[in-house]
Amino acid sequence: MSVEAVAAKVRSGGRIDRAEALTLYADASTLLLGQLADAIRARKHPSGAVTYIIDRNVNYTNVCVARCAFCAFYRPVGSGEGYVLGFDELFRKIDETLAVGGVQLLLQGGHNPDLPLEWYEDLFRAVKAKYPDFKLHALSPPELLHLSRLSLQPVSVVVARLVRAGLDSVPGGGAEILVDRARRLLNCESKATADEWLSVMRTVHQAGLRSTATMMYGSVERVDERVEHLCRLRELQDETGGFTAFITWSYQPSNTELGGVEATGVEYLRMLALSRIVLDNFDNLQASWVTQGGKVGQLSLAYGANDMGSIMIEENVVRAAGAAYCMDEAEIVRNIEDAGFVPKRRTMAYDILGDPLFRERAIPRQTELAVARAAGDTSVPAELSRYPARSRPGKQQRDAVTES
Amino acid sequence: MSEDVTAAAQMAVQKVVQKVADGVTLSEADWARLTGSHDLIALGMAADTARRRRHDDRVTFVQVLEVPLDPRDPLDSDALEAPIPPPTGEVRVTGCPDSSAAAVAAVRTTVARAGAVPVTGFALADLEDVAGHDRSRLRDVLGALREAGLAQLGEVSAAGLTDPDGALAALRDSGVQAARVTLGVATGDAALTLIRQVASWDGVGDVCRCLAPLPRTGSSPPSTGYADLRQVALARLLVDNIDSIQVDWSRYGPKLAQVALTFGADDVDSVPVTGADDQGWRRSPGEEIRRNIVGAGFTAVPRDGRFEVMEDSAESHGHRTRQS
Repeated sequence: MSVEAVAAKVRSGGRIDRAEALTLYADASTLLLGQLADAIRARKHPSGAVTYIIDRNVNYTNVCVARCAFCAFYRPVGSGEGYVLGFDELFRKIDETLAVGGVQLLLQGGHNPDLPLEWYEDLFRAVKAKYPDFKLHALSPPELLHLSRLSLQPVSVVVARLVRAGLDSVPGGGAEILVDRARRLLNCESKATADEWLSVMRTVHQAGLRSTATMMYGSVERVDERVEHLCRLRELQDETGGFTAFITWSYQPSNTELGGVEATGVEYLRMLALSRIVLDNFDNLQASWVTQGGKVGQLSLAYGANDMGSIMIEENVVRAAGAAYCMDEAEIVRNIEDAGFVPKRRTMAYDILGDPLFRERAIPRQTELAVARAAGDTSVPAELSRYPARSRPGKQQRDAVTES
Repeated sequence: MSEDVTAAAQMAVQKVVQKVADGVTLSEADWARLTGSHDLIALGMAADTARRRRHDDRVTFVQVLEVPLDPRDPLDSDALEAPIPPPTGEVRVTGCPDSSAAAVAAVRTTVARAGAVPVTGFALADLEDVAGHDRSRLRDVLGALREAGLAQLGEVSAAGLTDPDGALAALRDSGVQAARVTLGVATGDAALTLIRQVASWDGVGDVCRCLAPLPRTGSSPPSTGYADLRQVALARLLVDNIDSIQVDWSRYGPKLAQVALTFGADDVDSVPVTGADDQGWRRSPGEEIRRNIVGAGFTAVPRDGRFEVMEDSAESHGHRTRQS
């Protein structure tokens, strides 16, 4: 089928298949892709609202046994640079988030063998006891799978226990590319195969939780594998309807084992637009300003995105791989309005909370994103001694904490 | 903003876009629709049509080695002694001379070092200061620089030009071409006003090769991606009398510069000569700019400081052009 024929199909509201998606990506001009995607965005969001959420992106630990080749954030078990945040540190971060109008934590971390399921349950219960209305958007599918393996409990049981403890929704991290050939090359197949990632998401949705979906492109995958990724997400969305949003970003190569070069800005906009066209059953697409910068982040709104994502407050993973952009609420709102849209604050479920908060009350400007911990802070939270460690270094560390 | 109003506004913009595609001269009302529209894609399509009519799918770029000029320290000695790396297409003298003699001396020294690589530099406004805003003396200064080997004047700022006709006449009379017209730090409506002024300058295209429509220095708050691309697209649509629309690789960064190529820009300035070469050829600026141009759907054409095409070795790196 020609580009013109596929474009006509998209304009008439038809669903395109894998081959048609490939034709568009390979041969359509960037502006045509943008035009098609923007028309779908306008159809789905006729009010002209562009949303964002005020939340904080917290990584509770950087210790990880997965060893993904594209990750610059993790530290192996026993590393002197490894950390686990204490409950009090997390409470302080929540207090700071609430102070700028935040409504939730996006809580993700490494696959730390020394943090059992009970640690997560206790953390979630403690958060909910102290902050009953605060939301926990936490633990991507590979983390849930890791906890299933550690606890020898089915994923459905792990999810049910975490929901009872306070889990509100699940982020779509760890999807990378949902094709096992690429996952093997990225050394991330062992943390979750494509089927496992989708299966965990199915379980999450069946438990009544909503989640997001993601894609990291631009590393080792072929274009047809990106399309396969989108189509598999679309199929699961047809089945469960549990995804609230889709976010794509380019692989950030600095400081990673895999290395290489970052995909270009045009490639990001093409990929975003194609995602909007293929994912016809997703309401919301987020702009990844944290990887693309504010300017291309704003341009995303012309290429299918209807959401500027999160103001983040804190970010550690992408920064470790070389990208360090920052946009506070005022800057996000300026960019939304400059593009001709109406800014609205939202929840993870895309319920509208209201107009920009900084116009209602004074909120300090933020010029850079916070980090998980100050450099050189090697403290070990006291409560860790309550939980058994599995690794030898972990056991030694617990013993040291207990003795002190 | 209701759906009907949005659709009607988009349709009105599309009609203007069609006029551009048909080569119809736009009315004031047409311009008001284009400049007031938030339909960035429609604006980009119109600008892309206009740029393809002139340049097809070619995007030229130049790798520039900058040599600083300091009035208190005529030329940086380290920069003077370093060899000119092979991919250099232009050696640019940067800074403001405090006299005609200093400018000429800097050009002579740099030309001796640069060999066959064209040497450029200086802003017309600075040379006007040096010439005491005397048209005849300005012509003499320009002539002396040309005699010393200056291949192109670096910049004519539309924002600082009090007598455009006189300045352009001085350029013409002295036989010196300017690489680019800039808009200084102007953004938004101020930039659009300057763009329209430049569009009205008779014969500017005979002495100026490019219009660089984005601000030359950062502002607070910074310009947005929409504002930058709107400015690039409107420059291409409005300015018929200058051949090329130029973006600056170093000032705006690879991502915005690359996207600007799909919004009417056809020339990339200030690609560094050296960069992350120690991380392999894929990370070198020359390879990155080629990868970005091809990735945007265009053919990469290296040029020198005289805007003459340089021999390209990119084919050996397996680049190919896909449809944009």
